[in-house]
Amino acid sequence: MPTESLIGYGAPVCVDSGSDQDGYLQGCTQVKCCPRSLYSLVNCPNFPPQLSAGPAQLSPSLSGLSLQSQTPEALRVVNLLQERNLLPLGPVTPPTPCLPQDLQKINCHPEVFRSTLTSIPQTQSLLNKAKLPLGLLLHPFKDLSQLPVVTSSTIVRCRSCRTYINPFVTFLDQRRWKCNLCYRVNDVPEEFMYNPVSRSYGEPHKRPEVQNATLEFIAPSEYMLRPPQPAVYLIVLDVSHNAVETGYLDVVCQSLLENINALPGDSRTKIGFITFDSTIHFYNLQEGLSQPQMLIVSDIEDIFLPTPDSLLVNLNECKELVQDLLRSLPQMFGKTMETQCALGPALQAAFKLLSATGGRVSVFQTQLPSLGVGALKSREDPNQRASAKDIQHLSPATDFYKKLALDCSGQQVAVDLFLLSSQYCDLASLGCISRYSAGSVYYYPSYHQQHNPAGVECFQKDLKRYLTRKIGFEAVMRIRCSKGLSIHTFHGNFFVRSTDLLSLPNVNPDAGFAVQMSIEENLVDMQSVSFQAALLYTSSKGERRIRVHTMCLPVVNSLSDIFAGADVQAITCLLASMAVDRSVTASLSDARDAMTNASIDSLTSFRTSVLTIQQPGLLAPACLRLFPLYILALLKQKAFRTGTSTRLDDRVFAMCQLKYQPLAYVMLMIHPALYRVDDLTDEGALNVSERTIPQPRVQQLSVEKLSRDGAFLMDAGSVIYLWIGRNCNPNFLTQVLGLPNYAAVPLNMNMLPELDTAESQRTRAFVGWLREQRPFFPILHVIRDESPLKASFLQNMIEDRTESALSYYEFLLHIQQQVSK
Amino acid sequence: MILLTMIARVADGLPLAASMQEDEQSGRDLQHYQSQAKQLCRKLNAQSPNRCTLEAGVMSFHYVIEHGVCYLALCEAVFPKKLVFGYLEVLQTEFNEQHGKKVPTVSRPYSFIEFDVYIQKTKKNYIDSRARRNLGSINTELQDVQRIMVANIEEVLQRGEALSALDTKASDLSSLSKKYRSDAKYLNTRSIYAKIAAGAVFFITLIVYMRFWWI
Repeated sequence: MPTESLIGYGAPVCVDSGSDQDGYLQGCTQVKCCPRSLYSLVNCPNFPPQLSAGPAQLSPSLSGLSLQSQTPEALRVVNLLQERNLLPLGPVTPPTPCLPQDLQKINCHPEVFRSTLTSIPQTQSLLNKAKLPLGLLLHPFKDLSQLPVVTSSTIVRCRSCRTYINPFVTFLDQRRWKCNLCYRVNDVPEEFMYNPVSRSYGEPHKRPEVQNATLEFIAPSEYMLRPPQPAVYLIVLDVSHNAVETGYLDVVCQSLLENINALPGDSRTKIGFITFDSTIHFYNLQEGLSQPQMLIVSDIEDIFLPTPDSLLVNLNECKELVQDLLRSLPQMFGKTMETQCALGPALQAAFKLLSATGGRVSVFQTQLPSLGVGALKSREDPNQRASAKDIQHLSPATDFYKKLALDCSGQQVAVDLFLLSSQYCDLASLGCISRYSAGSVYYYPSYHQQHNPAGVECFQKDLKRYLTRKIGFEAVMRIRCSKGLSIHTFHGNFFVRSTDLLSLPNVNPDAGFAVQMSIEENLVDMQSVSFQAALLYTSSKGERRIRVHTMCLPVVNSLSDIFAGADVQAITCLLASMAVDRSVTASLSDARDAMTNASIDSLTSFRTSVLTIQQPGLLAPACLRLFPLYILALLKQKAFRTGTSTRLDDRVFAMCQLKYQPLAYVMLMIHPALYRVDDLTDEGALNVSERTIPQPRVQQLSVEKLSRDGAFLMDAGSVIYLWIGRNCNPNFLTQVLGLPNYAAVPLNMNMLPELDTAESQRTRAFVGWLREQRPFFPILHVIRDESPLKASFLQNMIEDRTESALSYYEFLLHIQQQVSK
Repeated sequence: MILLTMIARVADGLPLAASMQEDEQSGRDLQHYQSQAKQLCRKLNAQSPNRCTLEAGVMSFHYVIEHGVCYLALCEAVFPKKLVFGYLEVLQTEFNEQHGKKVPTVSRPYSFIEFDVYIQKTKKNYIDSRARRNLGSINTELQDVQRIMVANIEEVLQRGEALSALDTKASDLSSLSKKYRSDAKYLNTRSIYAKIAAGAVFFITLIVYMRFWWI
């Protein structure tokens, strides 16, 4: 990438580039400025603008003297108004903490554990000055290909803060170790002296616990309050007329039949079914029955279990009955005329059924619940979607779902919600049932068997992943950090049981968490601080396990070092989570302003405190050069956009995802990746297990980059679009799509044909590789100009101007205006 | 009703398998018994009696030790003992057959948790009164059930504490008896004085009487 320093140019380039974009400037005034920021600021008026004049601080002037080698790449000054193409060639890589080589080598993987600042400021006032949020992003239960597992009768932990021994502790001598979180000196137990890997004695520092930042312990019986619970699954299905109409029952039953042997569990696994419309139906699946027995409870005011023993049955012993039921269920309600739906009582029944063991409830719901407790009313006015000044009804309408979720959490029951609907369902209220019970939410708008085949395929694939993915039961997670730091806010789906203990009745590999931190005591004379996340769970095989992740980060005392270690993706994701909270507690416009201010404040701070020589333009350190772009992308994201017609449920679902998804998927949601794919070559290709995967470069999200004679692939996380230009290379059409010409491209094409050509193989390898990167299945839409999905494709072109939102360049000008004020 | 079943290794009290009968009513206070059961498994050793019933209020623990494995069940005190021991006996035979050889080598708690499935099935047979009749054959083997030792759970769990309590009681007793002894001595001397005084009074009256009457 070309690296130009600013001094060398010096000309006020912004005027030049601005002149040919006159039209853009009108939009600038639309953005309001608001002094509030997402993180509270502590005033420190007398704080010196520069702490120390380390070599890094001299960087702009030095780079002008062509001594660039002394400037860390992260701090290279970039004039955002001048440099148009800021995206790296491939994926954005997280910054590496400045730690000694040997420590960094064993540090926790950034995909699992990440901090917004890879260099922790020494004091809170220094952090306030940098105006960047401090927090951690975690993906604790990620599927890992390699995970050391330790079985030992005693797990070595610090006696005062209960930290697990980890690679960043110090051994004072062979008999004592010093905790890296609370600095207490502990004894090394006799058993720990023996190293089972090398079978030698007297080398405690070579134990696997001290060699791996991520590992799993098999927990001894002290970590169990009761015998480990079996895997218990309860399926709760909406069978009202509306639900049958969508035809989702077929898909659910078919998927369950196909994956019934792949459900995680052992010989103890239990399963049960409940269906509901205006009444609740239970199914007796007791061994020995010739066919499943349906039991109807019509008293939804005071729900009870008709035969408590035989509703939840052992899957292995009653498999045939279960399969019978799954085969007959879709037909059973074929002619139902019942339109009412009593979701609240059905959930109460599910809670009663599972409260003895705990487990997972999967609720499939297709309409607004209308009967019994938890009934809801429509709160959305479709005509107001685009014009409304502020978005109402982002908070729940009733606390019934939250209360029930907390009861569930207490009994180790998690509720996963699948919402398949065409109308408003009040996800803001319903979502609470999953949010506080650590479940997950899936949403399929306009789901219909015939009218929406792509939605059906997506639902099928998601369901397969959902049913077969790893699951942990009765879990708790605790995040500890070094003395002086404190965690104050958590983001994700869980219930905070005591100040720092997250109760997770279920934990799944697709769940992400975020926490915000503050610096309580000054971290003077500390070289580094550590963070440890410990997740205690029961595996589906009935083993109690503890997964421990430890991350170590350096402590710095100068603003320039803080900026050099800023992780722009982590900052964006944390800001997004904070903004979701802000939109619910205050208002959406408040949250939008706060996000804009976050970028303005940090760039102002960089300009005034780090740069020694003031130059014109909008200056940002290289590591934060994508920050304004990501903030703009967030403002245009479904969750936060205004002016465009967005259904309330779509918006709330996007908000749920921002809070709950791990960083990598959130980033694709916020800023999709665009590739040109009609000219894929093997140049610079990756070689993964004897497959060649071409690596096209990531393009800017602007229509300007699309050309009519090309084909472009946009990876937006849960969906992939393949846009075909009108004059697309006929070679690509025939060799990859197997179509004679552009006019032959069907309007709803969802897969690439398997052709025996080099081009087809390359394209399919690339798409397949993208899909392998994530656990869920993104649907591929091939679109052309006439496709109905073209609008959603173009909405992702966030660098362009829309009727109601600024273009990237206008946004930069607005920021520059605020920064230089 | 058999509320809780636990199988543990006697040598170190490592739980091997367990089954909990949970329903809404009993679920709450079962936690207490659960921890008592765990403690009990840790207290048991090779010297413990092979079969024993331990009373714990309205509940009773029953256990059988065989081949170094303890089979423990918690029932209501009124539940027939015969049935419980029959049940434990069946579990013992099956468990020993399935996992007996692996018991000394495992280190993970609840390694044989899948045995729970068998436990639950057997339990159903024993709880269901209709099925009970068919179990006569097993019950006859347990004629000597009456001779099984009965103790109190508190006693077993707090055997150490009980001894020290006995010690303090004994020392209390000895100090009390010392006091009694001194009191008795004092009383003795008082009664002797009283006797002497009475005799003296008698003689004086006699002399006075003789003197005035006879003269």
